[in-house]
Amino acid sequence: MMESYISATDGDAKLQCELQEAKQVIKELKEKLNHYEQNENMQLCESTKEPENSSLLEVTQLTNRDIRRYSRQLILPEIGVRGQLALSNTSVLLVGAGGLGCPAAIYLAAAGIGHIGVVDFDHVELDNLHRQILHTEQRIGKSKSGSIATSIHNLNFSVKCQPYHLQLNKDNALPLIKQYDIILDCTDNVATRYLLNDACVLANKPLVSASALRFEGQLTVYNYDGGPCYRCLFPKPPPPETVTNCSDGGVLGVVPGIMGSLQALEAIKMAAGLTVSYAQKLLLFDALFGGFRSIKLRPKKKDCAVCGETPSVTKLIDYEEFCGAGPSDKCLSLHILPPEDRITVKELAKLLEETPLPILVDVRSPVEFEICHLENSINIPLAEIEKPDDTSFTEKVKQVSISRGLMDRDISVVVLCRRGNDSQKAIECLKTRMSSEIPVTLKDVIGGLSAWSLQVDPDFPQY
Amino acid sequence: MQRQSLVEVRVLYFAKSRDLAGTAEEIIKVPDRVTSQLLLEIITDRHIELKTIQQNLILAVNQDYISEESGEIQLSTGDEIAVIPPLSGG
Ligand SMILES: [Zn+2]
Repeated sequence: MMESYISATDGDAKLQCELQEAKQVIKELKEKLNHYEQNENMQLCESTKEPENSSLLEVTQLTNRDIRRYSRQLILPEIGVRGQLALSNTSVLLVGAGGLGCPAAIYLAAAGIGHIGVVDFDHVELDNLHRQILHTEQRIGKSKSGSIATSIHNLNFSVKCQPYHLQLNKDNALPLIKQYDIILDCTDNVATRYLLNDACVLANKPLVSASALRFEGQLTVYNYDGGPCYRCLFPKPPPPETVTNCSDGGVLGVVPGIMGSLQALEAIKMAAGLTVSYAQKLLLFDALFGGFRSIKLRPKKKDCAVCGETPSVTKLIDYEEFCGAGPSDKCLSLHILPPEDRITVKELAKLLEETPLPILVDVRSPVEFEICHLENSINIPLAEIEKPDDTSFTEKVKQVSISRGLMDRDISVVVLCRRGNDSQKAIECLKTRMSSEIPVTLKDVIGGLSAWSLQVDPDFPQY
Repeated sequence: MQRQSLVEVRVLYFAKSRDLAGTAEEIIKVPDRVTSQLLLEIITDRHIELKTIQQNLILAVNQDYISEESGEIQLSTGDEIAVIPPLSGG
């Protein structure tokens, strides 16, 4: 049916269309070449200049192309020619090229921020694309910082964008930050947030910080205009096991999208010389209930460890040690149970070929269980098991063993989760409770369903 | 000692504290004069699970940050208390 629609005339029209597109590409390339030639002298100067100073030549005049390009923001009295020139003469460093970094970067570039640096050590993965909106399917496996640089380049060729494919650490943070006027915290982990905070205090740079998880977002501008730094508010890092990351907690893509856009807005206002809205204020965004709340914060804390009057942190420290967790939002592997209480996915595969089958208990949340689960597994979420008066586990296990005619023997129960952490917690919790009631052997699966997918069944989905 | 009376305030829980408290908001009775430490004690005594992040929270009354430096705070019925842990995802 569809094929018969492609007549000779349609083929012709299609070619015409392609020709038009090619012409457009040639036109754009010519413009870029032109631009390159105009900037050649400037580029040469840059490469030899000291990185300590602003590495851009000051822009003192708008070209006709600039006037046309930025006309809609240029006519805002709050921006005007003065503001637009200020934007071109401002450099912004984005740390994190993910859900916050993508929208922030592209709005900064669109607005004409002169120089944008992007730091990230990750590569683009398929499960980034629902929220890290600049990365594309074609760029899976490529560096995230490079991907953002390409997008910026495609949108606004006059913006100088420098990708840094590296992990920010205590040695490289200060020299890097000193080269930029405004720093954006678009990171996804506690350790890098403290590192970036301390580096910005030491280098005396404003830090526009945002974060997002599930349906919630937070935004504030630290170390600016007498306002607090991150440590003034949160002197101690949270215990690592209480920190939820996007991979475990989930996040709706548009939430970091909104928070990252707000970071760009604050940076643009700061660059243009306008009063920023969230210095010494914390914005709380709740996307589920639809509310923005703004909390008036404290000024700088006199006895703050880094920005106070007599700071104890005078150079960057080991943030992994300080936070008890590394600089990534990847998951920790817990070792709660002794090795004899654990089996590998290969061993599980063998057990599933024997009779009687072990009872498979999947302790993930119901929403995860619905995404995918092993055949014949039953779902008893960890949250249920952890309730002190819970009886659902014993009841369900009894039920299943009766229905399978296993009641007379020692029942073998294999506990499963996504990565092999929650399954250990579940067994730890059940050990004391179970022994007296029914004769069971509890084993947990190392690496959980994620390992199952990698080592046993490649068709089992990963999320 | 002055007699204290109780007032009804609305407590809002954000981010991790919402999971741990198991609720997004609730109305509770608190003394009308409290320090930030006492307020935090009262809230974390209601929800023991919050003790794990007790040192990683900020408190705000009617959208104003409070801390031990704020001294004794006067509360009235209908006041709104926000319990805010940091979010770190991105
Ligand atoms: Zn501070």
